[in-house]
Amino acid sequence: MEAINRQSKAKEIGKKALGIFTIPLLVIAAVLIVCLSSGQMILTTDVSFYGFTRYTAVVFLTTIALSINLSSGRFDFSIGSLSTLSSVIAAKITYAMLSGSGASAPVMLLISIIVGAALGALSGTLYVALKLPPIITSLGVTLIFEGIIYMISGGRYITTETSNSSMVFFRENWWIHLIIIALALGIIYLVFDRSKFGFNYKALRAGQNISVNTGIKEIPNAIICYAICGALMGTVGFLQVLPGNQIATSVLNFGSIGIMFVAFLPMFIGGYIGKYTNDKIGYLIAAICISLLSSMFALFNAKTITASVQSIVTAVLLVGFLIFLNNEQTCKDLVNGTLIKRLIKQYKEKKNRGESDDKPQE
Amino acid sequence: MEQVVENKKSGFDKYKIKKLIITLLPLLALILLFVAYIVILNINDYNVMMNLKTLLNQSLILVLVATGAIFIFTLGQFDISLGANALFSAVVGTLAYKATGSIALLFIVCIAVAVACSLLNALIASVFHLPMFVTTIAMLSVLTALATFLIQSKGSASGTSYSITLPAELVDKLAPLDTVAFKIVLLIVFMALMVFIFNFTKIGRKQKFLGGNERCAKLTGISISLFGIIAFALAGLGVGLGSSMTVVYAHTVSTTTASSIGMSVFIAIVFGGMPINGGARSRIYSALIGGFSYNIMTNILFILFQSMQGVRDGLVQVISGVFFLVIVFVASINYRSKNLPR
Repeated sequence: MEAINRQSKAKEIGKKALGIFTIPLLVIAAVLIVCLSSGQMILTTDVSFYGFTRYTAVVFLTTIALSINLSSGRFDFSIGSLSTLSSVIAAKITYAMLSGSGASAPVMLLISIIVGAALGALSGTLYVALKLPPIITSLGVTLIFEGIIYMISGGRYITTETSNSSMVFFRENWWIHLIIIALALGIIYLVFDRSKFGFNYKALRAGQNISVNTGIKEIPNAIICYAICGALMGTVGFLQVLPGNQIATSVLNFGSIGIMFVAFLPMFIGGYIGKYTNDKIGYLIAAICISLLSSMFALFNAKTITASVQSIVTAVLLVGFLIFLNNEQTCKDLVNGTLIKRLIKQYKEKKNRGESDDKPQE
Repeated sequence: MEQVVENKKSGFDKYKIKKLIITLLPLLALILLFVAYIVILNINDYNVMMNLKTLLNQSLILVLVATGAIFIFTLGQFDISLGANALFSAVVGTLAYKATGSIALLFIVCIAVAVACSLLNALIASVFHLPMFVTTIAMLSVLTALATFLIQSKGSASGTSYSITLPAELVDKLAPLDTVAFKIVLLIVFMALMVFIFNFTKIGRKQKFLGGNERCAKLTGISISLFGIIAFALAGLGVGLGSSMTVVYAHTVSTTTASSIGMSVFIAIVFGGMPINGGARSRIYSALIGGFSYNIMTNILFILFQSMQGVRDGLVQVISGVFFLVIVFVASINYRSKNLPR
């Protein structure tokens, strides 16, 4: 009996490991094949490595921010504008306080997070106060935030406020990016998986009516969700400043919406991996995969693989993965060679059911 | 007894009047905005005809695209790739026109490409059981990337940006179409066709039914896939016409052409009184009213804040956003749910 238990446990662990590691291993294999065939290798220089860690952090945080509200049926177009606005405000305040000296980068990061949380809470408050569908509220909020960004910056790049040695230090030290990832993962895990707020959030996500009827307060829960989302996007706004020490502020007429598109593929991949482990771990693994692919594209010069080709590859991967997710059984049958057998069986069952339905009832 | 009947009658009338006011509110707002616009133009000594022509140019493409898209929104779904589709079909149409010099081919190619891309969305989603929204996000990336690739490889560079520009002789050929009369006729014909399909055929009725209660509609034998495909085909028609008129008006396509159309469609139809969840309260003329209202409002704001050059564009967008939320809030005040909407 014990042996059978042990066997089924081992089988379970094997299944979980397969679910968690299949996608990352496939990505690593694909990257290695491309690297070996082109005679180049990724992540061999300092620049490429800290670029990789920074991009992983950006993708991971954006994915979590997007998924927090999206999984509750609240689609939020405003996270891109929120990210840019919080970094613009943080850059201006930090420069006014420190004039680019000493600890500018950590102070700017802190202010970005605080401003992001405040803007997120404001967006959430508007949503609960107006009681409009979240997609509509987020469109209005996007227009307002983008307009404010333009009013602060005049549509010009912000560079003076963000060009200083501490920003370079934050850009060129990969361990800082790892600390940001670890802290975000830990805090999000505690808040959503180990707190009353998190349990309420999950209950509301699974059944809004029944949760509200049992006494769970939906309004504060929603506002806190928006605030957390804002804090994460504030961090993303700061991380986006690092590569060029500048903030692009020409975002009028929904120019900021593209920022969130980076998160869709990792969100679905992370959701799939999350079936076998914690979903936040799934998002992190997915973000690493996306960042690896991005590093692979960076090996080639812009003429060989343009940004357009990268976008097409990412979109095809997204559709391909979704097709797999929504037709998992069919894909498995296709691999096992049992698809035709299953389809014939289904057809026969349908036919028999049809015949019995046609028979007159006694 | 008489009192009861009278109360019932007056209650019924009150309800009817309230409903009528809510239905007519977007139209009344458009009329008010239009009157205010004319007054402000006159007070500030602007050329009224010139500004009305600009307004028509600004609104025409948005209204064409958004009116077609209403068929998708009525089903309770939405397509985020409309702007990218407009860009891609405009690029392919421009290349075809440049190669042949045929105006008919410009329109045919733009419409065919737009309808094909739109149908591809519907087919991928229905064949592989994918969520429509995610399919359109992927399509947005693919179409933007393809259009960018075509513009960069076939167009000319000016600084860091690329564009495909029509030569002077082909621009001259388009002049008869770049007139107010042609644009108004096109708008009337297209709107008439859409109103007819939406209000006087089974297609419109069944789509409203599907948008209102998909399960119930399915049980009565209405095919979700079929009406999804029809909705996307009609949206493609609107996008195709919109992209053709973009080429006619602008004579050039760049990577930023129609970039904000996808989101402006949402604003226009919601501004025009259309519920975002679709269903029985969907109105085909929402895009027409909302598109013009939104553009008139932003034009008024641009005139009012003309002295604040440095921040004007941002300020106008902030006020537009606030107005948008306030108007949608007031228009939907009768349709509040107990829980937060999702």
